[in-house]
Amino acid sequence: MNQAPLLEFVDVSMGFNDRTLFEEFNLVVNNNEVIGLTGQSGSGKSTLLRIAVDLMTPKAGEVYALGKSVKEWNPQELRRNVILVPQESYMFPNTVRDNLTWGLTIHGETIEDENLLGIMNEVRLTSISLDDDAQNLSGGEKQRVAIARALVMNPKALLLDEPTASLDSKATIAVEEVLDDLIESHQLGILIVTHNVEQAKRFASRIVDLQGGEEQ
Amino acid sequence: MMQIDLGFLQALWNSIPADIQVALGRYIAAMVLLVALIVVSKWQKIRIQKNLIIGTVRGTIQIILMGLILVYLFNLRDIILMFGVLLFMCTFAAYTTADNLGKIPGVFKASLPGIVLGSISVMAISVLLGVIEPIGEFIVPMGGMVIGNSMNMSSLVIDRMWSNAQKQRGLLETALALGASPIQATEITIRESIETGFLPNLNRYAALGIVTIPGLMSGMIIGGANPVVASLFQVIVFIMIFLSSIIAGLVGSRLFLKEIFNERLQITVPPPKV
Repeated sequence: MNQAPLLEFVDVSMGFNDRTLFEEFNLVVNNNEVIGLTGQSGSGKSTLLRIAVDLMTPKAGEVYALGKSVKEWNPQELRRNVILVPQESYMFPNTVRDNLTWGLTIHGETIEDENLLGIMNEVRLTSISLDDDAQNLSGGEKQRVAIARALVMNPKALLLDEPTASLDSKATIAVEEVLDDLIESHQLGILIVTHNVEQAKRFASRIVDLQGGEEQ
Repeated sequence: MMQIDLGFLQALWNSIPADIQVALGRYIAAMVLLVALIVVSKWQKIRIQKNLIIGTVRGTIQIILMGLILVYLFNLRDIILMFGVLLFMCTFAAYTTADNLGKIPGVFKASLPGIVLGSISVMAISVLLGVIEPIGEFIVPMGGMVIGNSMNMSSLVIDRMWSNAQKQRGLLETALALGASPIQATEITIRESIETGFLPNLNRYAALGIVTIPGLMSGMIIGGANPVVASLFQVIVFIMIFLSSIIAGLVGSRLFLKEIFNERLQITVPPPKV
């Protein structure tokens, strides 16, 4: 059995040109753990998530995913197991079904509509059809499709970047409810970035500040 | 006061054959159209003025020089030499693509193999199939058309890929975050830009003979060829152009992926300057 943490950041530092974002950041994310990552706007929270899936390389330090340095992972395999859901929910062309199966298709895998509907139900997208055009969805619906698109791949860890930042209050509540259920029902580790500490407190078993590093 | 004797200019003009004098007169008159074009594009902030002026000067010199050696090239019978000329044209096409997309890195080395592979293979197959005669009169001008269109396709695909990597970075990153390879992440862009690249030629193709009277066909008819022969030849040229363009676009796009992603499948294109 794999006892290694899902994700481990060891003395990770990052900056652009002369500007330092964060220095010697350390964090361990274990299975079934929800961690809220907070910090000021522009502090590098989104950058840290990108570093976790090797979309960016840190200036210093090491990141381990499932016990192996991300440098040793095949990037595509790493991103099959640890999935980042970016802040903006970009939809691929065509239908909701095409979007939900996009990740599996590129890895040569398939899924039945019945299972897709189960996941749609989980993210409370019962009012839309698999055949709907994904570009026509509302912001909140797109965000839930983006989360469902990641869940379909049954990842080991999910990295959510400000999942409600661009949504109105009604859509925010809908997404928060989905996250609540998700944390209950899925066996995975979740690292959720938010500038809203109250929101982090609602979901997270631990809250980590990117600058301070202190855990509450 | 110093007197400037301009008599030598008169002598120079008189030394030019009469037919060239007429052509030069028309060329100078046509500059009115170029000025109109520059005024319109400047007014509408369409940034092509510099390329238009440089292109006119460069193109005029190039085509005059080419015209002077065309007689020699048209009489070529050595197949190796003919394809050597095509290879030179391909290299120049890739150089032109890189020059016009000056802000984008790696264009020459991404576009050259596609233009060479597309154009040379299509020309070689056409010769082998007996579609075109292996003489300079056919190989050089038809090769020029095939290479020119491959160059346009290569240029369009690379430009579109680069600007999409800048402007649609979020979508690209979403694809990568789901484990997409560079080809999978960009396939929609590549497909759409090849379709866009085809559009002008498909329009010409659809309106062939009614709206579009292509130069090659007109030239052949003026030169005394049977109109049916000239027409069939024109359709053949279009098919050759389509095939070489798609090869140039596909090969160029795949080679250009190295300029957008690194080996860790991270986007290396800087965001657009605001």
